[in-house]
Amino acid sequence: MGGRPLYLEPRLEPRLRSLLAATGTLRSLTDALGSPLHVVVPDQIAENLERFRSVYRRHHLSGQVYYAHKANRSSALLRRLAATDAGVDVASLGELQHALGAGFTADRITATGPKNPEFLWLAALTGVTVSVDGAGELDQLAALVRKHALAPVRVLLRLSGFETSGVKVLSRRSRFGTPVRELDPLLEAVERHGDAVELTGVAYHLDTTSVAEKATALEGALAALEACRSRGLRPRAVDVGGGFGVSYLAEREQWEAYTTALTAAVLGRRPPLTWGGHGYGLRGESGTLRGVLGLYPAHRSVAGAAYLDELLAQPAASLGGRPLAALLLEHLYDLHSEPGRALLDQCGLTLAKVLEVRSQEAGGALLVRLAAKADDIALEDHGVLVDPVVIPGSGAGPGEGPVAVHLFGGLCLETDLITRRTVFLPRRPVPGDLLAFANTAGYAMDFHATRAQHQPVARKVAAWQDGDAWRWCLDDQFWPITPSGGAQ
Amino acid sequence: MRYDSITDAIGNTPLVRIDPAVHGLRNIDLFAKLEMLNPFGSVKDRAAWNMARPLLAEAVEHGSQVVELSSGNTAKALAVVAGMHGLGFKSVTNRMRVPEIKDLLLLLGAQIEELPGQSECLDPTATDDPLTLFHRTLSASGSTYLHTDQYYNPRNTEAHLTGTGPEIVKDLDGRVPDWFVACVGTAGSSTGVARALREEDPSVRVVGLVAAKSDFIPGIRTIDEVQEVGLFDPETYDTMESVSADEAIEGMLTLNRRCGILGGPTGGAAYHGAVRHLRAVDEELTERRTAVFIVCDRVESYLSYVRQRRPDLLGRPPRKNSPADLTDAEVGGAPSVTVAEARRWIDSEGPLVVDLRSPYAYAALHIDGSVNIVDELFAELLQGGVPFSRSRPVLLACPVGEQSARYAALLTRMGHPDVRSLAGGIIAWRDAGAPLVRD
Ligand SMILES: Cc1ncc(COP(=O)(O)O)c(C=O)c1O
Repeated sequence: MGGRPLYLEPRLEPRLRSLLAATGTLRSLTDALGSPLHVVVPDQIAENLERFRSVYRRHHLSGQVYYAHKANRSSALLRRLAATDAGVDVASLGELQHALGAGFTADRITATGPKNPEFLWLAALTGVTVSVDGAGELDQLAALVRKHALAPVRVLLRLSGFETSGVKVLSRRSRFGTPVRELDPLLEAVERHGDAVELTGVAYHLDTTSVAEKATALEGALAALEACRSRGLRPRAVDVGGGFGVSYLAEREQWEAYTTALTAAVLGRRPPLTWGGHGYGLRGESGTLRGVLGLYPAHRSVAGAAYLDELLAQPAASLGGRPLAALLLEHLYDLHSEPGRALLDQCGLTLAKVLEVRSQEAGGALLVRLAAKADDIALEDHGVLVDPVVIPGSGAGPGEGPVAVHLFGGLCLETDLITRRTVFLPRRPVPGDLLAFANTAGYAMDFHATRAQHQPVARKVAAWQDGDAWRWCLDDQFWPITPSGGAQ
Repeated sequence: MRYDSITDAIGNTPLVRIDPAVHGLRNIDLFAKLEMLNPFGSVKDRAAWNMARPLLAEAVEHGSQVVELSSGNTAKALAVVAGMHGLGFKSVTNRMRVPEIKDLLLLLGAQIEELPGQSECLDPTATDDPLTLFHRTLSASGSTYLHTDQYYNPRNTEAHLTGTGPEIVKDLDGRVPDWFVACVGTAGSSTGVARALREEDPSVRVVGLVAAKSDFIPGIRTIDEVQEVGLFDPETYDTMESVSADEAIEGMLTLNRRCGILGGPTGGAAYHGAVRHLRAVDEELTERRTAVFIVCDRVESYLSYVRQRRPDLLGRPPRKNSPADLTDAEVGGAPSVTVAEARRWIDSEGPLVVDLRSPYAYAALHIDGSVNIVDELFAELLQGGVPFSRSRPVLLACPVGEQSARYAALLTRMGHPDVRSLAGGIIAWRDAGAPLVRD
């Protein structure tokens, strides 16, 4: 196995911890509904929303928290959220229909991303706010409004390509939004379509972990709003998108030890830590480390609502150095945010049954075959490394001592590895055990799932606490009025 | 000492003994090599000059821009050297986290580009990381860059092999120290010095210091980050040890306050790491030994780093007339008016309306006839007393009525007879449909 086991234990808040302890429930669920199985915990999303709200309150900011629907298809999570005061950010016709059907009224929905005509029309008809990607989409929207005699549509302008003065912050290029350099022609279009659209503000979504880049964008958005006002428009909101992050691991030390060991393995200074010596983007060239680590920074000291708080505390150099929160407030702007992953933190887990445990050579990692496909448990696809929790099967006696394993699925592909890294488990699993992958609700449940080889995609259930017990129903059967569940 | 050019003043830095009463080692003489006394302020002056010098004539001919991946000291030295030769300098980095250094570089005429952060929605198949792109841009044919490439350039190490190392031996009267302790950034100084010392006496022990993994000490790398450095070879060091940011600052304070050596956090880390390492062996020694560590640069550039981590060290005396020393009862009892009352009051008595928001927010929309004194400035003004006549009533306004209540309470305490706070602030004013103007 090569040295001490390198555990990456999941961060578990009380709800998920309690659910994982309900081993009887989890076993009977997989017995009845098969493996793999997703379990979502709708009450947690309401609690996460409240954490975002408290950041808003601390800064006296008004505005909406829009859940980025793309991160999970669950109806239960969406309906639970409909019973709060949150909004939802939809990126397709299907998501919009789903949100309307879950009870979100149009004033609580924004439509983002590239849009086809049907999506635009339904958004315009129902009165959803549209985050407009560019001048072309604005023209298209205005034409729809006129042709079908709809009421004027509220729009946000999605911007990108923000620049700083002094120090140039290079930003990852985005295919979405209009570069701020082209704001003037876009505003001319807004004015030209004054009968069909009403500008309510500007938006951006940056795919980066960097607070500095986001602060640059927010500062740029404030400048863009000033440009709107100087033309006599009356914007009142900034939408800062999502990307606030999740901390997946319980212990910083484990993450640090793991990444250090990975570096050493890539440089050939210790045995490989991955299937086939995969380096997650790193490679060794004559003793020097090259490339970048293509992994999600799985332990974060600041994530989710705390990340938003940190962003809001950043000083805006071009606006006198005041914190961004103070500037938003003083300018009387609403703050909109669109957390996806961060709102789904601790909102679910994925269960997979162990089918086979095979030894390769003596002392090597065990091969553990799960009743699952890699795309059903897509943590690895997002570069998230976190250990599964072993839940003993009903008859199985626990194996002794830590083991190193490779987890793979049921497809006929060599690449159907559920983890490319060697996973360390506190004991040898046996057929019939369940492996529970915690915190999979954000992007790791159905973002990638396919129906290849006639293998069904994982089913999904919603679970909630009823006193000391856990109760559940099929995801699609959950409503916030489900007995004892959700928002009583 | 007379020189023809400031670059002639690079090197020949002093080796200063640390008072044993400070470090407490009984059998070891500990010396600091004061690289902070190089003309541009750091150990990097040597490497920057040695790397750039042979390429300057050609660069001047082509009008090349000097570029380097640097977060501070190398950039500073290169910016000066480039400027002296009429060349531009650009620093590309994602590590420049100390604002004063950014400002200083801009002052020296540098252009700074910050690399984008990691993608939040990770695509593990992406290969175009920003650094790879940077190198590709540089090596594209026909580009006119002078890339000093400090992490791979052997002339970085060479500057210390021929300069810093031999200077230490000379100042120790031809003896090689028993220990050499240095922080590892580009690994240039530690590798060059170590090699020079070992050539004279292979028994020297070399201690490399890195930052604790989750910590940030400007200029030093962590144990993983050093693996990305082309000049780094683990064989160079007899041991690698890590230092936390707190320890670095503590070490820096000792150098600053007790030794009169105004070194920065890296020097502090080297001092701390040296004393920690040597204390263990000191007990067992029976004869005198010598150790040398490097003080890389000066403290002045790191004040905001210190302020962030140890605000207690920069504590200022309490201020007079500060809104901070009001009691909750005083704030709660501050005179206030509702929007409707305020509108009537403005019409009837014309109080001075003071808007405490930033000038940008004020410029965008404000109450007609109001003056703008941003809260920070207002706080300053109040230290000297009430800044307007007591005979005129005053209405204070802020976003939600919280700050204005504090200042209304403070001014009341200071003796102003009629100051009121706008309840609910400008937001309540707007929500009540009262007029806001931009003029
Ligand atoms: C427009 C928009 N908003 C919000 C999000 C959600 O980001 P996250 O899940 O990282 O919070 C995305 C993700 O792609 C997005 O494109």
